Amino acid sequence: MQFFRRLMPSNGLHSTKFFAWALIAPAAAYMCLIVAWPLMETFRLSFTNAGIGSEEYVGWANYEKLLSSRKFPATVGRTFYWMFLSVGFKLILGLIGASLLAANLKGKAAFRVLVMPPWIVPIAIGCIGWLWLYNGHFGIISGVLQQLGIIDGPFEFLAYKRSAFYSAIVTDVWIGTPMITIFLLAAMQNVPRDLYEAAYVDGASRWYRFRRITMPQIMPTFVSMALLSAIWTFNSFEIIWILTEGGPRGATTTLIVDTYKTAIANYKYGQGATRAVLIVVILTAFTLLYLWLVQKVNKKYGDNK
Amino acid sequence: MTALSLGALRTNNKEEKNMKKLLTAAAVGAGISMMMAPAVQAEELHFVMCGGEVREADQKVIDTFLANNPDVTVNMEAVPWGTCQDKTMTLAAAGDPVSLAYLGSRTLKQLAKNDLIVPVEISEEDQAKYQPGILNTVSNDGKYWGFPHAFSTKAMFINCELIEQAGLPCVGPKTWTGLYNMAKAVKDNTGVAGIGLAGKDFDNTMHQFFSYLYSNGGSVINADTNEITLNSPQTIETLELYGKLMDVAQEGPTAFERSQIKALFNDGQVAMYIQGPWGRGAHKEGMKTITVPVPAGPSGVSGTLLITDSIAVFNGTGHEELAMELARALSSDEAQYDLDSSWGLTPILQYENGIVDKPYYENDDYWKVFVEPIGSGGPEPMFVDFKSLQAVINSMIQGMLLGEDSAENLVAIAAEELEEFK
Amino acid sequence: MIDKYSLLEKLGLYTAIGIFLTFMLLPFLEMFLASLRPLNHLFRAPYQFWSDDMSFQAYSDIWVTVPKLPRYIFNSIFLATMTTLLCMLFVVPAAYAYARFKFRGKALSLGLFLAVNMFAGAVLLIPLYKLLRSMGLLNTYWAMIIPGAAFLVPTGIWMLKSFLEKIPIELEEAAFVDGASRLYTLRRVILPLAVPGLIVVGVASFIGAYAQQFLFAITFNQERDYMPLPAGIFEFIGYQQVIWNEMMAASIIGILPVLFIFLFLQKFLMAGLTAGAVKS
Repeated sequence: MQFFRRLMPSNGLHSTKFFAWALIAPAAAYMCLIVAWPLMETFRLSFTNAGIGSEEYVGWANYEKLLSSRKFPATVGRTFYWMFLSVGFKLILGLIGASLLAANLKGKAAFRVLVMPPWIVPIAIGCIGWLWLYNGHFGIISGVLQQLGIIDGPFEFLAYKRSAFYSAIVTDVWIGTPMITIFLLAAMQNVPRDLYEAAYVDGASRWYRFRRITMPQIMPTFVSMALLSAIWTFNSFEIIWILTEGGPRGATTTLIVDTYKTAIANYKYGQGATRAVLIVVILTAFTLLYLWLVQKVNKKYGDNK
Repeated sequence: MTALSLGALRTNNKEEKNMKKLLTAAAVGAGISMMMAPAVQAEELHFVMCGGEVREADQKVIDTFLANNPDVTVNMEAVPWGTCQDKTMTLAAAGDPVSLAYLGSRTLKQLAKNDLIVPVEISEEDQAKYQPGILNTVSNDGKYWGFPHAFSTKAMFINCELIEQAGLPCVGPKTWTGLYNMAKAVKDNTGVAGIGLAGKDFDNTMHQFFSYLYSNGGSVINADTNEITLNSPQTIETLELYGKLMDVAQEGPTAFERSQIKALFNDGQVAMYIQGPWGRGAHKEGMKTITVPVPAGPSGVSGTLLITDSIAVFNGTGHEELAMELARALSSDEAQYDLDSSWGLTPILQYENGIVDKPYYENDDYWKVFVEPIGSGGPEPMFVDFKSLQAVINSMIQGMLLGEDSAENLVAIAAEELEEFK
Repeated sequence: MIDKYSLLEKLGLYTAIGIFLTFMLLPFLEMFLASLRPLNHLFRAPYQFWSDDMSFQAYSDIWVTVPKLPRYIFNSIFLATMTTLLCMLFVVPAAYAYARFKFRGKALSLGLFLAVNMFAGAVLLIPLYKLLRSMGLLNTYWAMIIPGAAFLVPTGIWMLKSFLEKIPIELEEAAFVDGASRLYTLRRVILPLAVPGLIVVGVASFIGAYAQQFLFAITFNQERDYMPLPAGIFEFIGYQQVIWNEMMAASIIGILPVLFIFLFLQKFLMAGLTAGAVKS
């Protein structure tokens, strides 16, 4: 703290704290305007029956209706299943991808660039590509499977409840993996080389080096990426919407899809707002739980920085 | 709103400051120019045309209208169907309504209930000109809410080559049993799907179901008493038909809506399907097809589904009368005939009754199939929450196609759910 | 020695990379192939890769079917750039504050920023619409830039903060000892070192902005002249059918500019991401 005290001139107006807040103020104001106010409005709307016409205050009615409906717990469960599965795959594939790209092979620069397109390309466009792939009659996956004799006739991936769900997961993983790969790769490259060399000299195998050096070193990045990815995946909307619009028969309806359908597609702003508020509540609880768990794990294994 | 003003005070964002200066300058400039303008102001009608293009026939009427009303301008906006209705309704809900819009009649009940559109006046004389049942698609609570401007009915298209390959004569089946047998014969003898079944959560899936339902004497809602009539043996029979047809239809019906089935039909992968009058132009050249009425179910006669798109006049624009005039001009007599004939639509008015000499559908076998069943057909049900209507009906259909429940249960659940949305 | 692989290992690695990349790029390959086929071949079963009637015809048709296509592509890039710039304007000072200073409410305010990530823009659409309308900004470029930037700011702050934290504080101290003011330090000492981080965050924001344009564009903007590409692509959905091959062709053309920009910047991106292994 010595450093900062030296900076503090006698004039209180230019104190460090003020300077810090002054730097943050623009961003904060912007957030208040664009996010906080609509959020408060959403919160307010959740207590009304706002629709395309007028609105009236209805108190907790929307919440009661939603929480007591038989579909809601299923939707929440489905959303968490979606999140865990998709994030799990993204992290695993990201780890594998990062390791592959970190390897000293010829052409690795090119490979790194080739991994990026699913991230760079607008999600809407990428999903249109996947729509074609999943088409039973005219798509390549069904076509190739038929030619290989694995299936007898065309198979419509998006027509059945389970295949639609897992197909959506595949597309979601496809979109999310590049970013995780690149960030994990960066973290891997930041691991000091001496650690590896010391272990190599001591005769450690590749797998050992990966397990005992790489993993712990990239753990902070890994943990924060996992949380970010979890939150984004929980709210992943466009992918599901373009592929299945939540169907068939609600098989791919996660909380966010349900919210959009209610609020925007069905013009029920009040009930949609209720769902939105619940998403925020659930995600906040999840994040707090996650961070608490991470802290516990950190304490248990000690800080290895 | 305090957050807004606080945000305004706190901003040190250059762009926003410049924006404010710009807006103020623009406002001052606009104010000055308004003071200098002549006393008479041009009235601008904002007209949203769903479908993404302005048809020639309509454009002609608009031009005439402009010529007769020199102080009026018409801002035509053609919006593709995918986003059009939502956009129009959102604008109205946010207090920024368009003057008039051409959209699906299914939206009218909700717009009416929320006071966003004004009832239209159709004289007794004009009412009589319409084909039977058409005005039902725009009426609610004893009033009319839109000028019907485009009309379609449904019929069945059959690929003769496939039927003959299966060893049957190319004749339309008259009953549902006949339909099933024909489809099965095609599937068994040629390996190609006998019939195209739509099951995706799309509006035309619901429409296909209604085409069958109305050919079985069924109904969804009683327009006069607003009672849900879906839970009936006729509906159960229709749903059970779907269960049977599933086995001889294309694979994975829940992933298909009508335009995809049309693609299969064109590729010879499906022998029959239900389609509107535009089907003739949408099919491959040189295909041997016949068009026949929808087969009748055990409890009814061959019917069809009546769907209209209409022009609605919005409330709160200040020039509702003017908009109503334009809407009426677009949908009356010669103008309407011009549109119907050039665009290949099912005729809305009974033109043969003195309006036009030789209407395009007279003595045409193709059009007979689409025009004759009008009397025994049913309208697209008028629901306030039309989107939920679609969701519930499609969920019922999908429940059958995915084999999740019995027909009786599915129909009962659907009828119960519909209560909330009527 | 640590980087040398046996032949078997090399084979394994290349194969693994091959599979990985196939997964990443398969949809694009399919889109490209689809764009080459005429419509009636697209809808032809059973599936065939090649056929006689493949051509680049769709690529010339798209400009006719959707005449405003060049404009849409320009709009996409313009919107993404402006959004990124606006976003960075807020992110840079805030990230610096979080990286360097300790003050009460730091963790809480940072947490609040991150909480913004918890809402998809989809949820706040109606209030945002009313807000933009009262500001008179509907149907302008701003209608898409302002909400777009807002959702990128929190992530930007977090990312840039971790980059700035890696810049050794000793450098700042040295400058102060020499009597420099705080702003001078920021400008002359920190900023140049932060450039790799800035580029990474800028590129990530650009990509984010480009990817999420769709929703805001179709809700807040009715002016076709201002529409970005993803919204424009939907114009290939005609009254009765979707012109798939042209849609694919337009999509491919649409993503080319971003791919090029990315190719150009990727060196900096990688350098930025890997910078930080500073040997003191």
